[in-house]
Amino acid sequence: MQTAATITQQPEIAQISSAGSLRETGPLHDEARELTGSQILCEALIREGVELLFGYPGGAIMPFYDALTSYPALHHVLVRHEQGAAHAADGYARATGKVGVCVATSGPGATNLVTGLATAYMDSTPVVALTGQVARPFIGRDAFQETDVLGVTQPITKHNYLVQRVEDLADIVREAFQLALSGRPGPVLIDVPKDIQFSKTLYRPSTRLSSNEYARAARTQQPSPAAIARAAQLIAEAQRPLIMSGHGVILANAWSELQAFAEKTNIPVITTLLGLSGFPETHPLAIGMPGMHGPAHVNRAIGVADLIIGVGLRFDDRVTGKASEFAPRARFIHIDIDPAEMHKVKPAAVPIVSDAKAALKALVEAVEPGDHRTWISEIRNNEAQDQDHIAAIPRNTVHPDPISILEAIRAETHGDAIIVTDVGQHQMWTARHYTWTRPNSHITSGGLGTMGFALPAAMGVKMGVPDATVWVVAGDGGIQMNIQELATLKQEGLAIKVAIMNNGYLGMVRQWQHFFHSGNYSETPITGPDYVQLAAAYGLTGMHVTRHEEVAEAVHQAMEKEGTVIIDFVIESEANVYPMVAPGSAITNMIEETEESTGHD
Amino acid sequence: MTNQAAPTERAGQSNAPQGSERSHTLVVIADDQHGALDRIVGVLRRRRARLQSFALGRSELPNVVRITVVMNDSEVGVEQLVEQLRKIVNVRQIVNLSSEHTVVRELALIKVNGASSHFNEIVELGHLFGAHVVDVAQETVTLEVTGNEEKVEKLVSLLQDYGIREVARTGRLAMARGAADL
Repeated sequence: MQTAATITQQPEIAQISSAGSLRETGPLHDEARELTGSQILCEALIREGVELLFGYPGGAIMPFYDALTSYPALHHVLVRHEQGAAHAADGYARATGKVGVCVATSGPGATNLVTGLATAYMDSTPVVALTGQVARPFIGRDAFQETDVLGVTQPITKHNYLVQRVEDLADIVREAFQLALSGRPGPVLIDVPKDIQFSKTLYRPSTRLSSNEYARAARTQQPSPAAIARAAQLIAEAQRPLIMSGHGVILANAWSELQAFAEKTNIPVITTLLGLSGFPETHPLAIGMPGMHGPAHVNRAIGVADLIIGVGLRFDDRVTGKASEFAPRARFIHIDIDPAEMHKVKPAAVPIVSDAKAALKALVEAVEPGDHRTWISEIRNNEAQDQDHIAAIPRNTVHPDPISILEAIRAETHGDAIIVTDVGQHQMWTARHYTWTRPNSHITSGGLGTMGFALPAAMGVKMGVPDATVWVVAGDGGIQMNIQELATLKQEGLAIKVAIMNNGYLGMVRQWQHFFHSGNYSETPITGPDYVQLAAAYGLTGMHVTRHEEVAEAVHQAMEKEGTVIIDFVIESEANVYPMVAPGSAITNMIEETEESTGHD
Repeated sequence: MTNQAAPTERAGQSNAPQGSERSHTLVVIADDQHGALDRIVGVLRRRRARLQSFALGRSELPNVVRITVVMNDSEVGVEQLVEQLRKIVNVRQIVNLSSEHTVVRELALIKVNGASSHFNEIVELGHLFGAHVVDVAQETVTLEVTGNEEKVEKLVSLLQDYGIREVARTGRLAMARGAADL
């Protein structure tokens, strides 16, 4: 994240060059100059610390693209579909904590962003979308490629703007970045009519507080001391407490505070899907993921817990199952930066509206050291029993199995890779069986569950953290949803390793059909391309792995090869994710794996 | 008004006792910016507010609108909505004006069949409610009445006998009594 220091250190020397007053890179100008709306957009983006844009040009955004070539400090990535741009910006934001930026033209360009914006909105990630709009005189006349993008994106953005005057543009950009990052982060859209991109005005950089400063100012708000004291009291009284850690811990960079809090109180830590990699899973207090596909011992622990300390999570229905039967014996301490999350699903005995980092810091100081060895060993005994039970079930040893694929990736990358998953069975297997240790190394679409997220998001992740090894784990359904971004990866020369868990089904939907629709596999068998040939067609490397013993070598090869590599792992076709809680059931009521349930070979 | 469906489990309802719904009056002060009203209405719709009335007009400040929203909901349901509305960037302030220290008014225009035989009765009835005659035509009389909803409804129901052709109501407006500004 760009620091306040680097912003204020920008030399205030005006280097006004000749016509157009454009500059190569470098210092920000504080002197007013006459610029077009497009130039102001570029200047304002640079001022916000933007280096990367993911986008796609078109009629109503062309003046902006015209200006863009004069601003080499802004690297534009030409995606192959605007949805890819939104996911890439989202991936970039998740991996870096900075605002991701995507650009599209009016009409279809803007509507193609919608799924990506909704994904970012549900998972609270900071994204700014710039869209072209038809010129002001045409708005409301059903002009060519006119869509009411403000109306379309209203429920899936934190805020959106239709720029009405070029004079407002600099302030709007600044405010949009502030909003995207501050409080509970989220996407913000700026719709810029084409004539505003052309029109000129005197540009003076917006003097408002920079977005990062704004975000920090919001975060330094201290949680109420009374609430912290009350929370400490409940923690001291609890016999069977659990910490539930969500995305807020990652968004707030609060992993060390979380660890300090867990260690001082000796309370076991559950991480939600989006909370994964917020707490090291090799830690003796880490017990796993809750909810619909959480391991049995976690859900059972929730069932008997007397205190839940929820940090930066919103008690999503995939976590709680039937909300009224979720943690029925527990009182709740709920820490979240969004006051609207308090009591939304579970009434909190102690609501703490605060940034996770600030609240955890305050709690660490307020609590007494705890000792919950008995409680922890109760959970661990349950876990061991489950594991013995699962180990006794005979396995298909012919095909590559999902867990060995994940273990191979982890071994090959020493746990340092960032793993981007799509949505479905592979997502749950990865969440559950990859041992997360690198902070913020798990990137997935949780709230919206957007298939087609992984490949473009990984592009943003890799560009945001170029030194990291980035693996995509996807199913054979989801990978086909934004497969066109392979061309972008090639064009940008990006090295992403892609593991497809290919079972020839829309596996999670098939699993639901198996359990809840009498095994009627309606429209879930799916074919796909020959991924080796497909990769070759895009100028990339492809591999096809059908045998269990070839997994580790294939992963090793993929790491050795330069550039993007796709491995098509043909896995068992009808494997299920266990355990599973039927939607609307209590999470302690799980469908567990038995010997009979694996007979799908 | 828009959501007459039977009560179902909703956000913020987890601890709301059944049958604890009552009428709440929210006053929302918002910047009069492009899309602001859309967002307010959008949140009310999306969060399934049981709207009874929605009145929008200018406030004492330039470019700031005052919206009075009436909904039938439980205390926790309304609190949840208030928090969701508060997140809208253009919303400056929200106050729940559901106490007794509130002036509540609605204005209604009621167009009645006013054949000459009943004309005087209609006008007299109106006077009992402090209503004014604002238009008289060959076949119709239009009354303007101001008051709380009960008063307006009472007059409307009494005028049914003469044949009501149209009713236009503003919805509730509310303001705290005395020096208790928002």
